[in-house]
Amino acid sequence: MINMFKAELYRLTKTKGFYLFWFLAAFIYTLTVVYHAPGGISFSAFLEFSDSLKMDIQQVALNTNYYLLLIIPTFCIICGEFSEHTVKNTITSAISKKKYYIMKSLFTMLYSLTAFITVNYLFYFVNRAVNGSKYSSAFGAFSKAMLGQLPLFTAIVSLFIFIAFTLKKGAALNAITMITPLAFSLLMMMLIEIEQTRKVAEKIMRYEISTMIGKLALDCSDSYRAKCYIICAAVTIVSLVGGYLIFEKHELE
Amino acid sequence: MREIALQTNQLTKRYKNFTALDRADMTVYRGDIYGLVGRNGAGKTTMMKLVTGLTNVTEGSFSIFGKSGSAAEKEKKRIGCLIESPAFFGNLTAYQNLRYYCFQKGITDVKQIDEALKSVSLTDARNKKFKTFSLGMKQRLGIAFALLDNPDLVILDEPINGLDPIGISELRDTFRKLSQEKGITLIISSHILSELYAVANRFLFIESGKVLKEVTKQQLDLECSRCLVLKTDDNKKAATILEDKLDIRDYKVIDSCEIRVYDESAKPDLIAKEIVLNDLRLFGIHESGVSLEDYFKQLVGEVHS
Repeated sequence: MINMFKAELYRLTKTKGFYLFWFLAAFIYTLTVVYHAPGGISFSAFLEFSDSLKMDIQQVALNTNYYLLLIIPTFCIICGEFSEHTVKNTITSAISKKKYYIMKSLFTMLYSLTAFITVNYLFYFVNRAVNGSKYSSAFGAFSKAMLGQLPLFTAIVSLFIFIAFTLKKGAALNAITMITPLAFSLLMMMLIEIEQTRKVAEKIMRYEISTMIGKLALDCSDSYRAKCYIICAAVTIVSLVGGYLIFEKHELE
Repeated sequence: MREIALQTNQLTKRYKNFTALDRADMTVYRGDIYGLVGRNGAGKTTMMKLVTGLTNVTEGSFSIFGKSGSAAEKEKKRIGCLIESPAFFGNLTAYQNLRYYCFQKGITDVKQIDEALKSVSLTDARNKKFKTFSLGMKQRLGIAFALLDNPDLVILDEPINGLDPIGISELRDTFRKLSQEKGITLIISSHILSELYAVANRFLFIESGKVLKEVTKQQLDLECSRCLVLKTDDNKKAATILEDKLDIRDYKVIDSCEIRVYDESAKPDLIAKEIVLNDLRLFGIHESGVSLEDYFKQLVGEVHS
């Protein structure tokens, strides 16, 4: 497994996606640190920040950026192998299909989450060094906000892994992962406008990705947090098991 | 007794209603250069995919160096493969691609990369990106990948595809060298029998997913070379007549009623006369001998007729 991880890391550092991920993350945080304004995307979350909330926690609440950024490692690590048909090289001479799936999923997960944590902490320390305590909170508070999102990002990456192993095409992965949340938000907006479906839509919207990312970083209730984590655990398990079953059945070209 | 490198037992692969490989038996001994001969779509690649784990077996089994089932999985590290077209990362150079697989296989001696590249004459293209490679260069890099880490068994699917005549000749020498000097077992598939004939010592003919015949090079030579086929009711006596009366020694008794005479000076009319004069029943005498291609066509024809 260590050999496989070394190989993956070696190849990953030779891809454009690797540098794109770190450049985009650094670019977003540079703007935040320089202009003292948290920045990021949100599909349909309505987040209200209190004046007492420090800028770094506000930035963590806008971590939906990573929903898009974390598509890149999955694209490079998994889809690259299918589009170049190199998957057969590994399976014919190094490991079995089962081990291949486990190795790829584990590496994608570990790399994505490590990158997520590393970039967030880098932002924290740089922001603290540049802007001081006026714009940054205590290390513990920042860690709590950011690490509280970890189960959600685990579920998101698992879902990406599932899509990558199911569809095998980078273009399909990008299209589905980018369009689905937007289409979902649009649909929910429409349902909210309709009197009969408003209540259901509002309930569903509480568990929409960018809403969960924001709320898990801020002070949400324990019951909401527990429900979010249960959803995340279910999505993670279903995605990883489903991905394996589909990959195992699929004939490799 | 020779060690068996790879053995399949009633190996079958079915895709819904289509049988790609039907109860195939194959035995490859250590040190063999084993030629897998068949037309496009005959089942050669399926056979290779099954034994390398690229696709799941429907029925039957196989063993690698005597190990079967999950134990065979561990023996995979002793195999080098090139199945179908060579596939590598386009944005990586030849060296970087092989370095990636060295990491995977736990190969620490990176000199092996240069040795593998040298064996397929790709040293000059070491730092060129794979996406800029010609078809022949891609094929050679695929072979270099298969040779990485000095495997005991190398499986190559149509390795000469896209190679120029000089490249084919060089590759042939490489195969012989690997077999003779390093004792590597090679399984090579091709639809060009003459190319396989130049290197292989054993052959498996396959058509429509069915194994037609497994022969050694000597048997193939025997079956293809020009000869007189003599059919009598008493082969023992006929052989004595050939030797004593006609001074013919270059012949082979095929079965109870067939003798093949390879002596080029042998005259069919004289043989027939002596057989009849010695009170033997002569069922037939005719010239035989076919080219490799015709031999293969005959085999395939027997299946389809």
